[in-house]
Amino acid sequence: MRGATSAPRSLGWLLLPALLVLALFLGSVALLLFHAFWNKDGFSLIYFRQIIDRADYHDVFLRTVSIAAIVAVAAAVLAYPIAWLLWRLPRWRNLLLVIVLVPWLVSLVVRTYGWLVILGPKGFLNETLKWAGVIQSPLPLIFNDLGVVIGLTHVLMPFSAIATLSVLLQIDNRLEEASESLGAGGFETWRRVVLPLSLPGVFTGLGITFLTSMGAIVTPILLGGIRQKMAGTQIYQEVVYNFNMSKASAWAICLLLLSGLGLALLRAVEVALVPKADR
Amino acid sequence: MSRGSISINGVGKAFGTATVLDGVDLSIEGGSFVTLLGPSGCGKTTLLRLIAGFLDPSRGTIAIDGAPMQGVPPRHRPLGMVFQNLALFPHLDVFENVAYGMRIRGTAATEISSRVARFLGLVGLAGFERRRIGQLSGGQKQRVALARSLALEPAILLLDEPLSALDLQLRRQLQVELKSIQRQLATTFVFVTHDQEEATMLSDTIVVMDGGRVQQVGTPGEIYRRPASPFVARFVGDINMMDGRIETVDEMSVSVSVGGRAISVPRSAVVGTASTGRACQLACRPESVRLGGTQADALSLEARVTALHRLGPTVKAVLDTPLGPLTALTMADTPHLAELAEGKTARLFVPSDTFTLFAST
Repeated sequence: MRGATSAPRSLGWLLLPALLVLALFLGSVALLLFHAFWNKDGFSLIYFRQIIDRADYHDVFLRTVSIAAIVAVAAAVLAYPIAWLLWRLPRWRNLLLVIVLVPWLVSLVVRTYGWLVILGPKGFLNETLKWAGVIQSPLPLIFNDLGVVIGLTHVLMPFSAIATLSVLLQIDNRLEEASESLGAGGFETWRRVVLPLSLPGVFTGLGITFLTSMGAIVTPILLGGIRQKMAGTQIYQEVVYNFNMSKASAWAICLLLLSGLGLALLRAVEVALVPKADR
Repeated sequence: MSRGSISINGVGKAFGTATVLDGVDLSIEGGSFVTLLGPSGCGKTTLLRLIAGFLDPSRGTIAIDGAPMQGVPPRHRPLGMVFQNLALFPHLDVFENVAYGMRIRGTAATEISSRVARFLGLVGLAGFERRRIGQLSGGQKQRVALARSLALEPAILLLDEPLSALDLQLRRQLQVELKSIQRQLATTFVFVTHDQEEATMLSDTIVVMDGGRVQQVGTPGEIYRRPASPFVARFVGDINMMDGRIETVDEMSVSVSVGGRAISVPRSAVVGTASTGRACQLACRPESVRLGGTQADALSLEARVTALHRLGPTVKAVLDTPLGPLTALTMADTPHLAELAEGKTARLFVPSDTFTLFAST
């Protein structure tokens, strides 16, 4: 049929935006590699050497990976019950989904400042605890790693919830009935059937939240300690304040490698832990 | 009463304003193979799920071995269930699927292995223990589902159209096996199907359902020979139906006028109360319509053959008679058959005692 073969060809220009995006992406990666290995003196590994040699930089990367891992696990643990509830209450699913996603309608900066109001030294939580006589001096909930973990977990939890929900929704409810008819109670059915079948979604969530936390900038800047940098904030500082593209690029590449390593590790755990289910 | 009897009293079920079951009374004998047969939407699956405990009746009671099941969750009922889509656990292998119920009960590992081996042997799947569910064929999955629910040795096994997804040949084979397993274990099987042939072949008792009500309960033979209503007659096997009017009623026989002809049938053929002047339906099975010759105490007719279908061992003839179209089913080696052809005339007769007369319609 002539129409069928000629139409895609004449509509080929619709690919242009995609090609543009691809070109920009590949261009920036090329630029990143160029900056990382070349500076005004030619080929150089000076910033990689610096990362390997300086203990304070090790700390930054270690903190980045630790915070990202803690955030990923915290988001998964907190998101699971939410996802389960959304799955279990089909009537309320749309409303609950809106509630889960509402934080995303608020700008990241505003949301983060919200945490300042709640967690700050004179914030709602500390004042309440002081009033109740539980504490004498304010708890250090913010401007440290804890603040970063709280802020990131809050921002990223919906990703985890949705990833888990999408897998829960694929579980045939007859499986639960089968389990029940074989003598299992609700918890037992969850533990032996629902949980193993929903783990792939949990792992997807872990991957998304881990990766996003690894590259976090705004939350650590606003809620973290001044001296406690994460890799993202360090790169931001090199680019915006020091104009050191070569150093920033070297950091970005190291961050990318660490992220890849983290994902590979996560995948290995998933393969070991999640039995292969055939659908 | 042997183990696994079910008594259902006045059970009704409504979803919102839609009544799915309307006053079902049914008593199922322990150790028997009972089929709930009916068209889709007749309420058979709902009845099964009520017995299983996945649904609660809107009214009425269900008791198993005399114990009322009101408020008893499925896991505490002495029954197993095979689901229409089988619902095997995809993340567990064959062994763990069959072992599932025993693991829940905390059965000792040695006991679990020996029982899994026994029940996989029973369904012909010995050696498949470590296969994953995705590696099994449709028939094998079917057997795993059966073994899984039988491994706990329930008094009752509920089966919700488990064979409907299989091709005909495999289905016939599994029907034979299912029946033999049921005999061996003497477990009550309650089997839901819309396939009347399947029901006839498997069951001790068939429960024909329609419109949320039980239409008839009986052995396959009773249901076939003595259908309680035109619906049952049409649903179970082929049947010729003729509209008529009751002319006279006496002690021994009833005379019916069909297409201007008077036909006399014995009183024993009457379903319902025959009263003079009432409209009625006269029914006979195709195999009761005999071609060629005649006999005493039979309806004898002249007919024209409109179609002949040779079905291997049998021949189906569609005949145009003064009573309207009739279908005849006869063995392919019937002597008179050689003379028959489409468009030719033939004599036929229907023995009076093979008629069923539905009086109150």
